[in-house]
Amino acid sequence: MKELSELNLPEDLRYTKDHEWARTDGDKVTIGITDFAQDQLGDIVFVELPETGDSFAAGDEFGTVESVKAVSELYMPLGGEVVAINESLEDAPELVNNAPYDKGWMLAVKPSDPGEFDQLMDRAAYLEMLKGSE
Amino acid sequence: MTDLTTPLHAWHIEHGANMAAFGGYDMPLWYSSAKNEHLAVLQTAGIFDTSHMAVVRVEGPGAFDLLQATFTNDLAGCIGPSRKPLVPGRAVYGAFLNKHGHVVDDSIIFMMSASCYLAVVNAGMGPAVTQHLQAQASGRETAVTDLSGSFGKIDVQGPQAANIMAAVLADPVAAFEKLPYFAFKGCFSERMPAAGEIRLRDGHPVLLSRTGYTGEFGFEVFTPAEALVSIWESILAAGEAAGALPCGLAARDSLRGGAVLPLSHQDIGDWPFSNHPWPFALPYNEGGHGFRKTFVGDQALLAAGDAPHTLPFVGRDLRKVTLPARVLDDTGREVGDVLTCVTDMGIGRAGDRIYSVASPDAPEGFTAKGLSCGFVRVDRALAVGTALELKDQRRRIPVWIVDDIRPDRTARRPLTGFWQE
Repeated sequence: MKELSELNLPEDLRYTKDHEWARTDGDKVTIGITDFAQDQLGDIVFVELPETGDSFAAGDEFGTVESVKAVSELYMPLGGEVVAINESLEDAPELVNNAPYDKGWMLAVKPSDPGEFDQLMDRAAYLEMLKGSE
Repeated sequence: MTDLTTPLHAWHIEHGANMAAFGGYDMPLWYSSAKNEHLAVLQTAGIFDTSHMAVVRVEGPGAFDLLQATFTNDLAGCIGPSRKPLVPGRAVYGAFLNKHGHVVDDSIIFMMSASCYLAVVNAGMGPAVTQHLQAQASGRETAVTDLSGSFGKIDVQGPQAANIMAAVLADPVAAFEKLPYFAFKGCFSERMPAAGEIRLRDGHPVLLSRTGYTGEFGFEVFTPAEALVSIWESILAAGEAAGALPCGLAARDSLRGGAVLPLSHQDIGDWPFSNHPWPFALPYNEGGHGFRKTFVGDQALLAAGDAPHTLPFVGRDLRKVTLPARVLDDTGREVGDVLTCVTDMGIGRAGDRIYSVASPDAPEGFTAKGLSCGFVRVDRALAVGTALELKDQRRRIPVWIVDDIRPDRTARRPLTGFWQE
């Protein structure tokens, strides 16, 4: 298990208390789970994602991530319509372990309220939260 | 509860293990990858710290009588199809029951001599089993002693297990001679007569046993407690070139699930120890309606006509349910609960059957995507092939009752198939 100092937590992302990350990319926001989450879950063997066109509010469950250890819910960092899902996770769910912020992204949404992004935690706040839960 | 630790605890932490509580012990769940650790046991070898398990010694002129009166298997007739008696150097699986026929714990009993047996039981169960046996011992000349914590235990499991052990044993030829499944040699305590029989190159005495909890070929190695860390390191070093991995409890759980082996206090427990996939652990007579011997709990088992049925299942894909979960029949009616649901990452479907990564006849290009599997406890007997649904708070998954799960397991194969002098 990684020490907090070993975690990869990029500066340009925003984070949630449920260990999802969000990144703005033009008018879209890309979403995945953090290095901390993938490390805690262990080998990810299945990712259940919604379909393009589905809409969610912030905090809604949008899918599950299944590791050898457990099945965990995925929650929307912000509301919006799903405009893309990472289809490569169907055959290669381990991408979430190997590259959680890159090839292991999960979905892209068109936010219904772009202001919600700014309410998410930045790196420092997320790290502080992780320290508090140790 | 304060977490107990094995002498390897610091080693596990130093090597990045993801730790969790099990049976009162703080144990590794996995090091870098539970999936790779599971696959290592099927393809090379996996090395497990199982020093959290307990050993209860039963000795004295009355030892046989006490065990025969409390253990579900028949020590006078448990070896081979002709039911020969247990002899020194052989071990047998069964359970200790209370008077209700419920499981106190399951155990493998190792016969050291006519007046000395070691009952290997589950983590944290040393005191409870010792107390249970002492309570039944009145009038019999025996001493029951909990040896928990006085030994270490390392399981070396997988096709490379014999090659790895050959590199650390002082005399592998002698050690491996006539060592079939459920046979053992030596002992971890110098105090025991068998101690000199098996030594490692470093001089330490060990009990080397052709047993395990993975369904695969391999050994359990009982060591002196103080030598555990150095023996662990020498076994790991011997396995490194072959690709052997240290393994945690997650791989142990998924391997034993695929091998249709029960986890005590989860798949067997506070209900009658009958109607389950392990009838060989009970001394049924020819007709299957009575027992060949009497033992604590026998009358309760025979009277428990409505005892629940425990059955193995396999899912359609690798998705599992999280406990607690219920079992639904094809009309949607609830018929029981899920005892174990794990994913065996070494198996998958091709055509109409299941193959393992180790199946010699797997079709070309077969990749094991993993299948969920485990045990359900239902209120009726169900035929192999019966379709059910498992339902947890989140999802429903389709599963089928089966009579076996991971094919082409190697635990029972002759040692000579895995090692040449």
